[in-house]
Amino acid sequence: MKTLNAQNHQPFRIKDIPIVSVQEFEGTLRDAMLTHARMIGLFGLESSQPDTTVIALLSNPSTSSLHLIGTKFSAAQRKFNSLAGVHHQTHYFECELAENHHIIPEGHPWLRPVRKQTVVLDDQPYSMYRMEGEEVHEVAVGPIHAGVIEPGHFRFQCHGELVYHLEINLGYQHRGIEKMMLTASPNQQSILCESITGDTTIGHSIAYAMAVESLSRATISLRTQSLRSIAEELERIAMHLAGLGGIANDVGYAIGSASYGRLRTMVINSSALLCGSRFGRGFIVPGGVRFDLSDSALEQLKKNLSLVQKDVSTINTVMFDATSVLARLDHTGTVSGEWAKSIGMVGPAARASGIELDTRSQFPYGAYRYSPLPLITLSTGDVFARARIRSLEIDESIRFIFEQLENLPSGPIFNELQPRAKESGVISIVEGWRGEIVHSAFTDERGDWKRYKIKDPSFHNWYGLGLALRSEAISDFPLCNKSFDLSYSGHDL
Amino acid sequence: MIESIQLRVLQGDPIVHDVHHASLPPLFRGMPELHPEKCPDGCKECQTVCPTNAISLEPLSIDLGLCVFCPLCEQQCPEKAIHFTNEYHLACSTREQLVVTGTQKRITPEIASEKIRKYFGKSLKLRQISAGGCNGCELELNALSNVNFDMGRFGIEFVASPRHADGIVLTGPLPKAMAEATFLCYDAVPSPKINILFGACAISGGIFKDSPELNRQFITDHPVDLFIPGCPPHPLTFITGLLDWLDRK
Repeated sequence: MKTLNAQNHQPFRIKDIPIVSVQEFEGTLRDAMLTHARMIGLFGLESSQPDTTVIALLSNPSTSSLHLIGTKFSAAQRKFNSLAGVHHQTHYFECELAENHHIIPEGHPWLRPVRKQTVVLDDQPYSMYRMEGEEVHEVAVGPIHAGVIEPGHFRFQCHGELVYHLEINLGYQHRGIEKMMLTASPNQQSILCESITGDTTIGHSIAYAMAVESLSRATISLRTQSLRSIAEELERIAMHLAGLGGIANDVGYAIGSASYGRLRTMVINSSALLCGSRFGRGFIVPGGVRFDLSDSALEQLKKNLSLVQKDVSTINTVMFDATSVLARLDHTGTVSGEWAKSIGMVGPAARASGIELDTRSQFPYGAYRYSPLPLITLSTGDVFARARIRSLEIDESIRFIFEQLENLPSGPIFNELQPRAKESGVISIVEGWRGEIVHSAFTDERGDWKRYKIKDPSFHNWYGLGLALRSEAISDFPLCNKSFDLSYSGHDL
Repeated sequence: MIESIQLRVLQGDPIVHDVHHASLPPLFRGMPELHPEKCPDGCKECQTVCPTNAISLEPLSIDLGLCVFCPLCEQQCPEKAIHFTNEYHLACSTREQLVVTGTQKRITPEIASEKIRKYFGKSLKLRQISAGGCNGCELELNALSNVNFDMGRFGIEFVASPRHADGIVLTGPLPKAMAEATFLCYDAVPSPKINILFGACAISGGIFKDSPELNRQFITDHPVDLFIPGCPPHPLTFITGLLDWLDRK
């Protein structure tokens, strides 16, 4: 396979990426995806020139390797043969490429907008998929939803209560982060990455910090790595508790929702012990972290987590034993392992369908290289599995944090950075609580950003939610939606 | 049944009883305390590092409508002229009040008009609109309904339909795609209605204020009743701000 082989967080020179003909590009991707490679990026390097270099990024979790290959499109030749008909995981990437760079995937089975709602390829009007027939009806929801939640539009094709198809139209949250990254000052870049999605502040800011550090060839102290991973696991625990609380609420299990809510407060207040913000804002910076953990904060953190550990196990036991809860979770919103794999799902949602995929163990970084976490999978792929896996991950994350706190290395928390390597790139993958976060960063001849591509795990998983709803009752939508717990802003950027 | 009762016992008494005197973690960044007299001549360190240009010099002031409460200016200042205190009473009713100078202890909104207090003083239902909010503000607004903050005890609640609401709480910098929906939702709320901006993005655009992808016409067109600064604001900033504004004890 003629590709550039890279590792997570290991810089490379842009000119080392093989640029091949469009036919060879398609063929290489097709062959690679037949042998376990996953697509995790497909984007243009230049934003405005008439010629566009398109880079495809593949990941092979079983060998912990990343592969890059590129091709060039001229102003006159902006077409390639779509792979989405066979390799469904490329479907959304091809749509994004078409939307951002006007490069047409010929033969694409379902070319649809990614962030522009009503148009594809700049000017062609797009109508959402529609089912026709007697007694068939359509339900439209959004962009503003009933709850305190981000905006997005959902369109259900129903026959009676049964959903045949759910189409999800997003882009209402598009703030232009990728473009802003190119001109923003370093301090602004940190804040922008914290705001990609505010519930994964730590995940995205670690991905950003590690991209910058790799290109600067910086050495990050063990203490910094440990503190970052503590913050990352706190974020995971907090959001998993929020998700479980939401699921309990959606099935009308009030005591569960109240209990998880209380424990989540303790966990995000623990994040505030670390850095002053309940969401970890202002904590992570390229080069290190901005706050050291004081002895009193460390003691308080241990105390909080001991209590959370004890209470969460009691609540989990009671909730996952309650017949009334299980009756609503079991066999609801099932995504089979085969489907999950074919559309490239990631994170706990994929692991709940039996897919072995976890950056922390397959592409380990920071403290996860020294303190491994088990890769937990379940097989049923229903709401139960997606809820249960989050409860299991909470237990492991708490255990991990205790392990870090017991052996917290000493050392500096910040190192000054050297200038970034010029005309280079790096792929920075981090396991956010929703799954794989990918930041692909490329520098120009001055070391400034030439391209900063961000992929939130939600980019893959929204399609999974659509599939989960097939042949389900429409009244189960809130429950299915909560079990995926996806980000609108992370998708829309 | 017994297990559920046990869970209830485990809950203990988690509520913040006195919302005006809660203790927050030592590092929490709330009301900034400024000492302009300490500023050396010509020093611009804080202004240079500020990611949202929230700081003005001569005299030193911070616009909390722009501030994302990152620790940069405090950590960068060579003379410790800026210190973020733990004070979370930050809500106010005019944009000017958000510009902080000197060592003012807290911000208190002006009391709402008699009409507003008569209509909404005892029961206030709000419709939240997220327009580009990153889910930070949304999570904090959701937290207001949990067992710790339980805003419902003050008669203040979020409702699903704008038709049932007495006003809106807007989060996010207002991307173009949300412009129309925001107008429609606000128009669906019956009058008299109130307009609350929650978080730096809603108030000023925050870190996104120079993005070409925004359309902030809604903000230009509508008067604002209450500004809640923060990134995201603490739930207690919201509760205490509303209670003070409605002159509730």
